[in-house]
Amino acid sequence: MTETQELEQLVQREYKYGFTTDIEQEIIPPGLDEDVVRMISAKKHEPEFMLEWRLSAFRHWQTMKEPEWAHVHYPKIDYQALSYYAAPKSQEELDADAPESLDDVDPKLLETYEKLGIPLHERAVLAGVKGANVAVDAVFDSVSVTTTFKEKLAEAGVIFCSFSEAVENHPELIKKYLGTVVPQGDNYFAALNSAVFSDGSFVYVPKGVKCPMELSTYFRINAKNTGQFERTLIIAEEGASVSYLEGCTAPQRDENQLHAAVVELVALDDAEIKYSTVQNWYPGDEEGKGGIYNFVTKRGECRGDRSKITWTQVEAGSAITWKYPSCVLKGDDSVGEFYSVAVGNNYQQIDSGTKMIHLGKRTRSTIVSKGISAGRAENAYRGLVHIGKTATGARNFTQCDSLLIGDRCGAHTFPYIEAKNASAQVEHEATTSKVSDDQMFYLRSRGLSEEDAMNMVVSGFCKDVFNELPMEFAVEAQALLAVSLEGSVG
Amino acid sequence: MRQELPDWLKTAMPETAAAPDAIARTARNQVESLGLPGLRDEEWRWTNLRAIQRGRFNAPSGVGADIEPSIRLPLDNPLRLRFIDGVFQGVPNEVPEGLTLSSLADADEETRQAAFSPTPAPSVENPNDALVTLNTAMASEGVVIDVAANANIERPIVIEWLDGATESVMSHPRVLIRLGQSAAATVIEHIETVGEQPAWRNSVIVSTIAANAALTHIALGLDGASRLATERSFASLERDARYHSYNIQLAGQMIRREYDIQVGGSGAHTDLIGLMMPRGKQVLDTHTRITHAAADTTSNEHYRTIADDAGRGIFKGRILIEEDAQRIQAYQSSNNLILSDDAEIDAKPELEIYADDVSCSHGATIGRLDQEALFYLRSRGLGLDEARGLLIAGFAQEVIDEIPLVELRDWLTERVEQRLGDRGTAGNETA
Repeated sequence: MTETQELEQLVQREYKYGFTTDIEQEIIPPGLDEDVVRMISAKKHEPEFMLEWRLSAFRHWQTMKEPEWAHVHYPKIDYQALSYYAAPKSQEELDADAPESLDDVDPKLLETYEKLGIPLHERAVLAGVKGANVAVDAVFDSVSVTTTFKEKLAEAGVIFCSFSEAVENHPELIKKYLGTVVPQGDNYFAALNSAVFSDGSFVYVPKGVKCPMELSTYFRINAKNTGQFERTLIIAEEGASVSYLEGCTAPQRDENQLHAAVVELVALDDAEIKYSTVQNWYPGDEEGKGGIYNFVTKRGECRGDRSKITWTQVEAGSAITWKYPSCVLKGDDSVGEFYSVAVGNNYQQIDSGTKMIHLGKRTRSTIVSKGISAGRAENAYRGLVHIGKTATGARNFTQCDSLLIGDRCGAHTFPYIEAKNASAQVEHEATTSKVSDDQMFYLRSRGLSEEDAMNMVVSGFCKDVFNELPMEFAVEAQALLAVSLEGSVG
Repeated sequence: MRQELPDWLKTAMPETAAAPDAIARTARNQVESLGLPGLRDEEWRWTNLRAIQRGRFNAPSGVGADIEPSIRLPLDNPLRLRFIDGVFQGVPNEVPEGLTLSSLADADEETRQAAFSPTPAPSVENPNDALVTLNTAMASEGVVIDVAANANIERPIVIEWLDGATESVMSHPRVLIRLGQSAAATVIEHIETVGEQPAWRNSVIVSTIAANAALTHIALGLDGASRLATERSFASLERDARYHSYNIQLAGQMIRREYDIQVGGSGAHTDLIGLMMPRGKQVLDTHTRITHAAADTTSNEHYRTIADDAGRGIFKGRILIEEDAQRIQAYQSSNNLILSDDAEIDAKPELEIYADDVSCSHGATIGRLDQEALFYLRSRGLGLDEARGLLIAGFAQEVIDEIPLVELRDWLTERVEQRLGDRGTAGNETA
């Protein structure tokens, strides 16, 4: 098959999750001012302190300028043309009498999640082929529609619910932790999120508890002309541990949609949080039209001694990705890890990486980043390793590799390394290359098709990262990668 | 954000400049809006220009013309081009065949055009170029080094920057180096402070290297506690040309050195080798940018920093591979040692790649001494300080060993060892 034919095949490939759900929605009119912030807060029946918090974030946001330093290009976003709140109507009505069981949820919604392959229904999970034991929180546009396995988790003392519910039922925890890792004014998009965030997940694992199952959230943008601003907060008390996975998809639309989320993780003494992401927002079409702007702030704080935070991400979707899941290693002997596969095809732009801020003694961090560029994609790794004056004996190891498929894409590496302690040890390695002809020739001579050979090389390239994903999702991630790069070899 | 140009600098704009009229005029119009780069400018996040901003520097008055450098480089019959506080002291009487040396002030329009049109052209969009623009607006002194085609100049050409002869002097000299086809030359910057006065030199060197020619450019920042320098070197390479750069920085209050290398013809190659040893409160900073603009080109970069006391070493190296510049090999490494808890190292090795058939890699390390090597030496009966000293000197030596001039290499080895010997105690690092 010739290169052109294969490329044509690629063009014809469809984004699997591009459908929209025809469901009656409540959308507030586009525009953003204090009234909108008040309206969102009122719709969520929030206590006074939350409204104040939102308003102060909004006021701060107004004084800020949109950052321009990332290696991405896009037309200016008109923040007044976006709608900041969209909810399935039935859900809105149901909110009042708080649905107790899944039967109260609009079947259309369930159908949507069914299509996405999310075993939302508890029975479906139990009957699941993968045999996974996963509790799911599903967020549809601006609101969380349902959370499964609540009771079982409650037995263990774990709180896993939508952010709105947490504000209502556990205001003391929200007050104590919200904005302590990512302050309201942290950056432009975090400030915007703080003002208008609508929903998200909340996880609290009490002292000494090992969360009995994987927790998972599926984010879905459905409505037109809306931005999605979710906020996730995960707290692991002393000695607690939890593994959390998020997945995201959106319908196929011509216009760009903004997604500006904030994720905050807090790990106290001896706690462990594993946060995995499989990001598959709509990437736009082969001409680079449409797609999600994924501008996300994710940060974890290892507040306690011997705590550990692991970020694992597979970034396959979005027209533009701009995120740097970070670890602030405050506690002595705390550990931060970042494993990432970022794949860009067509006109996708990715500027992603991590920050490891070493403050505690003997803190350790590992960064493994694999970037793959194909088509006309631009894929940049941007990372910071900072060893503070107090971080005696700190260690970091960074490996970032880029793979180029095609001669019209770009692969970039922008690592920042700062060390202020004589006992620091930092190692950074980066390589950029294309898939070697030798490798391809060998695999082809063994009878593999060009596409299979390429897939094999690419999955080998990403193996270090996939190994870090929870078992069920590693399979999904691998399949996603194959789809994303489909037809890009020639 | 850019910082406002200080008033004393605004009023210091000269009426006449060495740059061609149109270029000088544009630059003069731009300097005020460009201001000086600040910490919020990406390229300046680790280095501030406060000492310049707050200083009050004057144009050189031209006194002290009989000043001699106090450091003698062990060179065989060098050709000396002396600048005292940025004022050019004239060309040597006798120059070898194939070499033409002239003062920039006497140069013809075409030459001045070349001296003020480097590749890549500085841009107002880039805050980093504010200092080049300032030089363009203010340069009145400079020198032109022309090497004819096929000429191999064996005598080293030494540019002596003798700074700080008079009080609070600033200077903006410009140097043009042109190598004709298959020519070869070695240019050495001898950088020394001759007085106790603070001084700021904002110099620009523009080199053009024709096909198959080779330029060796050695910069030696030898002393100067209150020396401020913002130095920029441009080099553009045609087919099969070579540019070898060795940058040794041993002192200075704030030294910011930048290299822009345009590897523009196939078969061309560049080496960027550097050693920085900040101590006291010195800030030694080198930024390099290598642009592979043609296919089949190669580059090799190797920088080392040893930061002691409260010294800061900063290295940023960028390798850019343009679209369709295929079959590139680019290698970069940055190795750094921190000897004190008050010292700081900042490194940013960057790759920006727009072609696919490339083999690029960079590595950066920051660390203490190899504990196994230390153990080995101690097991052989060496004391801790001695063993450490040996390892640190060895770390620096690997860079010095790359310098092609044997006499200079030995002399530098001694100087660096002496310098490390001054350390006295082993600092607060534990073995």
